[in-house]
Amino acid sequence: MPFFNVIRWVAWKDLISEVRSRETLSSMFFFALIVILVFSFSFSMDQQAARELIAGIMWVAFAFTGIIGLGKSFAAELQNDCLEHLQISPGSKGAIYLGKLLANVVFMLTVEVILFPMFVIFFNLDVVDALPLLLLVFALATLGLSTVGTLFSAMTVQVRAREVMLPILLLPLAVPVMIAAVEATRGALNGDPLALYANWLQLLAVFDVVFSVLSFWAFEWILDG
Amino acid sequence: MGALIKWMQRYEGWFGAVGGVCIFAGLYLGLAASPPDYYQGEVVRIMYVHVPIVQTAMLAYSVLFAGSIWYLWKRDPIVDNLCQAAAGISAYLTAGGLITGSIWAKPTWNTWWTWDARLVSFAVMLLILIGYLMLRTFIDDPEREARFAAVLAIVGFVDLPIVHFSVEWWRTLHQPLSISMRGIAMSGDMLRPLIVMSVGFWVLFVYMLMVRTQMLYLTDLLRAKKGRLLSHAHLSDLPT
Repeated sequence: MPFFNVIRWVAWKDLISEVRSRETLSSMFFFALIVILVFSFSFSMDQQAARELIAGIMWVAFAFTGIIGLGKSFAAELQNDCLEHLQISPGSKGAIYLGKLLANVVFMLTVEVILFPMFVIFFNLDVVDALPLLLLVFALATLGLSTVGTLFSAMTVQVRAREVMLPILLLPLAVPVMIAAVEATRGALNGDPLALYANWLQLLAVFDVVFSVLSFWAFEWILDG
Repeated sequence: MGALIKWMQRYEGWFGAVGGVCIFAGLYLGLAASPPDYYQGEVVRIMYVHVPIVQTAMLAYSVLFAGSIWYLWKRDPIVDNLCQAAAGISAYLTAGGLITGSIWAKPTWNTWWTWDARLVSFAVMLLILIGYLMLRTFIDDPEREARFAAVLAIVGFVDLPIVHFSVEWWRTLHQPLSISMRGIAMSGDMLRPLIVMSVGFWVLFVYMLMVRTQMLYLTDLLRAKKGRLLSHAHLSDLPT
């Protein structure tokens, strides 16, 4: 089967089953909502404090939500031996990885785009000017989290204690992505000149490339055996 | 590949002896013979332990990385034993590096811990190694355990250049590299004991790696033997 068709079909399969069950998106969304509420209770923030903290809070919410989505990504394949069928399917394993990655990025970005207006409302943010840059940061950081996350999701789903192992393996590796995302988001929200935080955007882009190449290459050993 | 185990059995004693001698000589040179630092006084002497530990922890992770690629390529179970041994030793050394660094930081920076890029990236390395060792305990099939662990070690290796260059990229509390491509910013009296200690720790690491690899190899062998005995017992019970 041609490479790009495999990517398209795997992503399409995940998206269509999500549209039918709405299981992943709704659990991600409500979990993130609870995280936002807990944070707003924990810190009684004025405008100044909100400006300082909001970037960190936002990315904690997005990362934890992403882990829920990523964990479900391959867990769904355990039923009816779907994982074995993926393993013996004639298409390239890398294409299966890219299809899964595409679906995961779409899920995470959807949740982020729904949640971001809530941050704006709950924490009184002024974001109109920063919007294009913020979307760029969201896209880069979401890709960074999803590349390693998709690989580790395929790995941890085949081991014991899988719910615990995914965050334990993913979060340490995602630390650089998280730091860069928080710094770039803070810069964009504060309206700083781009030159001040362009380094962090570069770091995100570098990590995206490194992690995509590594994960694409390593996926064969995770699914194949 | 049994040759590797044979070679280890034959030469491990030499590595242990050389490592031990170097470390004792280095401790004497560093603690008694070298002068105190102009700024830090006697406190600087913890450097002769801290720096070699950190270097060796990173060397151990590099061995783990190279071994993991080798394993995925050749699928030799003894190479997997070697990787597991390197990961365990690296985890202990990384924890040791964090602890000695913390003891050094208290008198010089007046704090046990600071969120500095070098410290964070080094602590992340410990978390990756702990994740690696945990992952291995959660997989029952030895072949799959080795394969997944190798992939994790290779992906996690991304952290190592960040640890190394963090002090150059982000100028914070941690001092930049004293020995780099730009030259050596350290007096000879202090450099000599440091080099002797570093060599001692590297050789000691090789010794520990050899011993631990053999232990893991023997554990695997024992499991295989038990399986064979069980299978014999089972076959002899079958009705003829």
